[in-house]
Amino acid sequence: MPDALFTTITAIIMIPVAFFLSIIYLFLLRKFSARFQWRVGPVISMYADLKPLLGRSRILQPLYDILKLFGKDTVVPSVARKTLFKASPYLALACAFGAIFFIPLPGVPLLSYLDDSLVIASYLLIAAVMFTILGAASSGSPWSAIGARRESEIFLVYEIGFVVALFAAAMTYGTLSIWTIATTSSLPLLLLNPFAAVLLFLVMIGKLGIKPLDIAEAETEIVGGPYTEYSGKYLGMLQLTKGFLFYDMVGLFIVLFLAPMFGTALWIPVYIISAIVVVLFLSIVHVLHPRWKIDRAMRSYGLLIAVFAILAVIMVALALSYNWVVV
Amino acid sequence: MGIMAKSRIYSPWLFHFHCGGCNGCDIETLAALSPRWDPERFGIQLVPSPRHADILIATGCVPKQFIPMVKRVYEQVPDPKVVVAIGGCACGGSLFYNEDPDNYAILGSPDLLVPVDVYVPGCAPKPEAIINGIVQGILKLAEKKKAVKKA
Ligand code: SF4
Repeated sequence: MPDALFTTITAIIMIPVAFFLSIIYLFLLRKFSARFQWRVGPVISMYADLKPLLGRSRILQPLYDILKLFGKDTVVPSVARKTLFKASPYLALACAFGAIFFIPLPGVPLLSYLDDSLVIASYLLIAAVMFTILGAASSGSPWSAIGARRESEIFLVYEIGFVVALFAAAMTYGTLSIWTIATTSSLPLLLLNPFAAVLLFLVMIGKLGIKPLDIAEAETEIVGGPYTEYSGKYLGMLQLTKGFLFYDMVGLFIVLFLAPMFGTALWIPVYIISAIVVVLFLSIVHVLHPRWKIDRAMRSYGLLIAVFAILAVIMVALALSYNWVVV
Repeated sequence: MGIMAKSRIYSPWLFHFHCGGCNGCDIETLAALSPRWDPERFGIQLVPSPRHADILIATGCVPKQFIPMVKRVYEQVPDPKVVVAIGGCACGGSLFYNEDPDNYAILGSPDLLVPVDVYVPGCAPKPEAIINGIVQGILKLAEKKKAVKKA
């Protein structure tokens, strides 16, 4: 167990690092999708003649979006339940933000050495989505209500997969502490239990609103879904929540499935590369699929989740009975 | 220029508001946002709700039944905001506008109801012209300081 001072210092350093990484992940998602669609996407190096007006680079585009939203007026609809409507973005952001302290980086355990860090992290990630739904439901707008309903339906499906995937990791290594999983000396779980990895990847698609499952915020049919009524700083907060959620999920995926690379900080380049690969796979799914209908999503996505959950559990049983794991 | 002022220029979000007209301008507006011109390079994005928008793109002339909606959508856009009128209809009513005798159904251009900052004439204007109009809108947006909050 690392000492308290080291944990405090790394936790404070972690805040800007996680913020920066989540901005970069959001940028990469946009850039990769643009490249797949034969577009340029946010430019990495601005054209020479436009530099004075438009800045040098747009790698920080998601940051500019969020900052701009914080500089704008905030409209609160008169029919909304005001307290809940205003409080939910704060609570959602707090949950997604709190979860960053339970996602370790190589050599930096943060709070993930706690005994039940996996459970705490999963609860925080669930709560962040719950508060988004709550805010939408309290806004009094029919579009938000439909968005909230769709979000909660999808949520019910992927949460099962989320819990099974996390507990597949926990059961295989016999611990609920993320840091113990991260510093194991056995093979990565990606090889031991590929089905659980696919399961968590499927969950990420639902949780982050990646294309076939972005039915909750389907802008062409239900305006903005849960975000319809939010503007100004509350929308900025929800965007920030999305960014942190993105960071949390990618981090959780890497820490659970590419585990033994967390011993020293020398692994950080490998961590970054694997994060980029995960975002690349997410963007491939994002551009290859049209949006599903809600009933189709419930059926096909539910079926996928169920099949992979069962396969993941079978793999866990195999791994345990043949002693593939050395903790 | 502070980072807040910069980010206002760097990330203009558009809300495409069809207030009437024949749809020709809407097709051209969407063409201007297509991969061929790809305004996302500069952070320009189409957003679904007026509450998220910075720039209101108004196309077409306003039918009389549509007057309250135009006012309402304009008011829903949070300050600072800019209105860009696209097409002959939105600039002055074009062929639908008739002063005497009054057209029974069509009021005229949206600038009779809401303040318009940039006019892009043409029937329908080319995507290049629309992008130029949006750029003018962004420059105006940069000038507008955060408007005083309504009491
Ligand atoms: S300006 Fe021309 S193309 Fe545009 S809406 Fe009017 S009539 Fe249609």
